[in-house]
Amino acid sequence: MPPRYGKLNLAAWAKSVPTINGYKTEPWLLKGAQIFSLNMEIDDDPADNLLPATMHPSIPEYAIFCVTAYPDSPVGAFSIAEVRVSGRTGVRPRAFVLRSFCNNEDARRELAARWGYPTVPGEVKLDIRHDRVIARASAGGKPVLECELLDRDMISGADIQYIASMHLARNRDDGKLVLVQVDPEFTFSKAERGKPRVLLLDNDAFGAGLNLRLANPISATFTTADVTLPKIRYICNPELPAMQGTTKVAA
Amino acid sequence: MKFGLFYEISVPRPWGSETEKTVYDNCLEQVALADQLGFDSVWAVEHHFLEEYSHCPAPELFLTACAMKTKKMRVGHGIIVCVPEFNHPIKIAERTAVLDILSGGRLDVGTGRSATWTELAGFRASPDETKKTWDEFVHCLPKMWTQERFSYQGRSWSMPQRTIVPKPYQKPHPPLWVAVTSPGTEIDAAERGMGSLGLTFGGFAEQEEKVKRYRKIIRNCTPVGEVVNESVSTVNFLYCHEDDAEGVKTGRRLTGTFNYLAAQLLAAREAYPSKSYPSLGLLPSLRQEASGPGDASGAPEGIGIGNPARILREMKKWEAVGVDRVNFLLNALETVPQQKVLDSLRLFAREVMPHFQGASASTSAAAGGR
Repeated sequence: MPPRYGKLNLAAWAKSVPTINGYKTEPWLLKGAQIFSLNMEIDDDPADNLLPATMHPSIPEYAIFCVTAYPDSPVGAFSIAEVRVSGRTGVRPRAFVLRSFCNNEDARRELAARWGYPTVPGEVKLDIRHDRVIARASAGGKPVLECELLDRDMISGADIQYIASMHLARNRDDGKLVLVQVDPEFTFSKAERGKPRVLLLDNDAFGAGLNLRLANPISATFTTADVTLPKIRYICNPELPAMQGTTKVAA
Repeated sequence: MKFGLFYEISVPRPWGSETEKTVYDNCLEQVALADQLGFDSVWAVEHHFLEEYSHCPAPELFLTACAMKTKKMRVGHGIIVCVPEFNHPIKIAERTAVLDILSGGRLDVGTGRSATWTELAGFRASPDETKKTWDEFVHCLPKMWTQERFSYQGRSWSMPQRTIVPKPYQKPHPPLWVAVTSPGTEIDAAERGMGSLGLTFGGFAEQEEKVKRYRKIIRNCTPVGEVVNESVSTVNFLYCHEDDAEGVKTGRRLTGTFNYLAAQLLAAREAYPSKSYPSLGLLPSLRQEASGPGDASGAPEGIGIGNPARILREMKKWEAVGVDRVNFLLNALETVPQQKVLDSLRLFAREVMPHFQGASASTSAAAGGR
């Protein structure tokens, strides 16, 4: 097997992970979500430090900047801004979520407790214009992320492939660190693609430090979809390769 | 049905000064033996930047070496990337003509367009354009091979009138193939009178449908070349051992390693949504089909691993669904020791190949006698 695996310093990262209330959450259906997602290649070698040992980097590695506005949920409207790093758990494409800024305190708490989202408070906004979509996040009034999709072009939702997330969390029941797979289902009603541009990124705000070095832009999409945050199906031991440390917790 | 070899040329880390040379030497030794054993053809991919998975960016050189080491086997590009940022069409016409001459008219030319963002972005090629440039290239190539003077004014490239030399040794020109990965590409092949070079396994039922569709459409094709190449090839793994359990166990290690490597690559569609890439392409399909549950032994359906009797059964099923040729991957990351690969080839040639019409299994000392 290839020797390349994630090299995340688990002990250091674990200091800021959320606590998840077991793995029995019910799904949430979130209708009419507006999803901004931007892919950009990142320097491979430092980025390996942003993936847990469970994961293998994709070739090349890329970061996903995802900003989503949910107009309705069991805890009201909320928006969330995330930076994810692409990788593989075994043979499956997955992305490790570094941090999620969320503008609704109830949503922040529920997302962390139910799915292990690494949420922190923040202001999150999508600015939708005729020629572009701008996604912004800030914390305490300080901007942490600004990126945009330029020259909006309609495409088919069938062409969109959002990859599932991996959240590092501590399980309330046994206190163990665990990687939680969250694989939402999407039913698209509209999809657009455009040129990607990252205007501002506060690496430290996302816990990335010098390990996240932006390189080659790939694509940006803006979609409208009904999103189902699902039951948790798989968890992984963050210290073992996925082939050895994956447990199925629900069908 | 005929049998060939298919090379990705995967190289395990760590990459010492001898690692890549050893892998290439092993491949050439396998090819030389396969020629003696009666295998029909050897195919090589064109891949770039796919660390460990494939260190085969210059297949024309590897295939030239193969041609020099063999007497009968055909040598095939599986495939040449028909995207201008990768290969200029004039260079394709020239290189293939030279290889056809050097091999004594044994060249097959597979065409395709790359399925990974890793490669496309490396050459600054747009995924939206590749299907269009591929189509343009395959319509030009036969004319560049056969017309004394050629000029072209097209969408992705153009040239004033020149004489492209040399011309291929085969007349009118080498057979043309299309890499069939995405659903429906077999229709592209059939409509143009080109061979279907399957690079995914698929189940038997899916393959049978594809073959039927291909054969029906090609009857009324508008060929891009001067000859129609009605042929269906598919790709598979081979590890043949007298002991079935050992064959399946080692074969599964081979398929698992290949699939694990393939999964690390960045498929075009994952990174860059485009109608040009409606499916995930070669790699995930290979992965899923070759890792399926299979029967109680653990051997997935249709895969050439196990003892000769098991492999014979599976190959007969491929023949029954209308496949003309099965091309085998023999190794991944040198997981299988070279001697075992060679022994597997000999055993397959001795025990399995004679059961197929068209497969010219040798009964010479190379196959170990009967």
